[in-house]
Amino acid sequence: MSKAAGSIAVRNVVQVYGAGADAVLAVDDVSFAVAPGAFTVLVGPSGCGKSSLLLMMAGLRGARSGTIDINERPMTGPDPDRVGVVFQEASLFPWLTAQANVQFPLELRGVPRAECRARAMQALHLVGLEGFTARYPHELSGGMKQRVSIARGLVQDPPVLLMDEPFAALDEQTRMTMGDELLRIWSEAKKTVVFVTHSLTEAVYLADEVIVMSARPGRIVDRIAVTLPRPRTYDMMGGEVFGHLRDRIWRQIRKAE
Amino acid sequence: MTRTHRALASLARLAIVASLFLLWEALSRAGAVNPRLLPPASDVFVTLFDLLQRPRIQSDIVVTLAEVALAFAIAVPVGVALGVIVVESRFLGEVLRPLLFFLFSIPKSIFLPLFILVFGISFSQKVAYGFFSAVLTMVISTAAAVESIRPDHVTVARSFGATRAQILRRVYLPSMLPILIEALRIAMIFTFTGVVLAEMYASRQGIGYQISNWGETYQLRALLAGVLLVSAMAIAFNESIRRVEHYFGHWRT
Repeated sequence: MSKAAGSIAVRNVVQVYGAGADAVLAVDDVSFAVAPGAFTVLVGPSGCGKSSLLLMMAGLRGARSGTIDINERPMTGPDPDRVGVVFQEASLFPWLTAQANVQFPLELRGVPRAECRARAMQALHLVGLEGFTARYPHELSGGMKQRVSIARGLVQDPPVLLMDEPFAALDEQTRMTMGDELLRIWSEAKKTVVFVTHSLTEAVYLADEVIVMSARPGRIVDRIAVTLPRPRTYDMMGGEVFGHLRDRIWRQIRKAE
Repeated sequence: MTRTHRALASLARLAIVASLFLLWEALSRAGAVNPRLLPPASDVFVTLFDLLQRPRIQSDIVVTLAEVALAFAIAVPVGVALGVIVVESRFLGEVLRPLLFFLFSIPKSIFLPLFILVFGISFSQKVAYGFFSAVLTMVISTAAAVESIRPDHVTVARSFGATRAQILRRVYLPSMLPILIEALRIAMIFTFTGVVLAEMYASRQGIGYQISNWGETYQLRALLAGVLLVSAMAIAFNESIRRVEHYFGHWRT
């Protein structure tokens, strides 16, 4: 991998939905950069355009203006070589087993069957699901489903992983566990992660840097470096630094509303 | 349900069917019902095997099967195409959807005389009426199947670089299959019903014609044998599709 692998540069991105008098400015002149291997979290109120921004970074939606570069090349459409996406719950194909879901991206590209299998197994092993490969999504718990989603996002070994509120539908306990799991996977797989969430606690717990966005039109109102050491532990949440960071995000969001 | 549970259930089911036939046999043999109106079950089975040997009956079965197969083979693709259009084209959908539901609610049999006027008493009339009986349910079910495709599944496939053809084959098709296969099953019931009805109403061949004829001429043994035959044909088809349905639809919860 080159030195640029996993770098992200978002420059002056504007997104407008609708046209004419009904046009809504969803994302207003957003710029930021993410260094390779960094964990960045986007937070903000509902409708601040954070998911929209993520879809544009995945090449699934075009920007009205501005550019998004990943690995120093513009994203003009979906590119699984550069970006893996993990969606909200229930994005797994219910008619496929866990293993077949993870293999899906490889099969689309005509990767030989044996290699598909080996790589899917490897990805499922990484997320701790090697014992559940033959299960269908409806036979898995919410947390396990999201592990499968993460394995599917990682199976092509892209340098960047984009995650759109992946743990939003999980209960608090599972969510905490999944956060720790994600950090473990991230440190093993060494990916650049951009993670969208509503949860301020989750944001501080996971991130190297938290980007706070305002309500519509979505603008960046603050960028907060999380200086807590890694590995992150549950005890840090009760600490002064953690509380201070979370308060600062909260104030920024309130001010921006 | 456990395996023993299921085995028990099918055993009980078998017992019900067997005792119904035994009851039929006993009532008729004992003279509790008029044996001319209800000949013994065993006689009816003998008659059925006898009928099946006759070339005329064999050709009637072939005619009916051909009409059903042809009507079904036309109704399914036409129904699927219209169903997709109804969903994919917003304008056409808005125009056509209420009309389809209006038409669906009307008893199809009232149009039978019209089919005779247009097509004559013929093979093609049976096919046309069978088609007409089944096509609407196919349209409506296909529309439901297309609507059951979840947009986020399409987004997922796109994010992995799926082409349009791959999305159709690997997302649309498996999403739609459970509903589509169920639709095929229902459409077959409607086609079969339509064809047999048209044969009974006015025809010179086909198993429906024979059943109607046996009824009018008081040939109760043959009539009941015909009923058993058509029932067996319908059940066999329905069950075979239900097997496939389970195979493709087990993931729906």
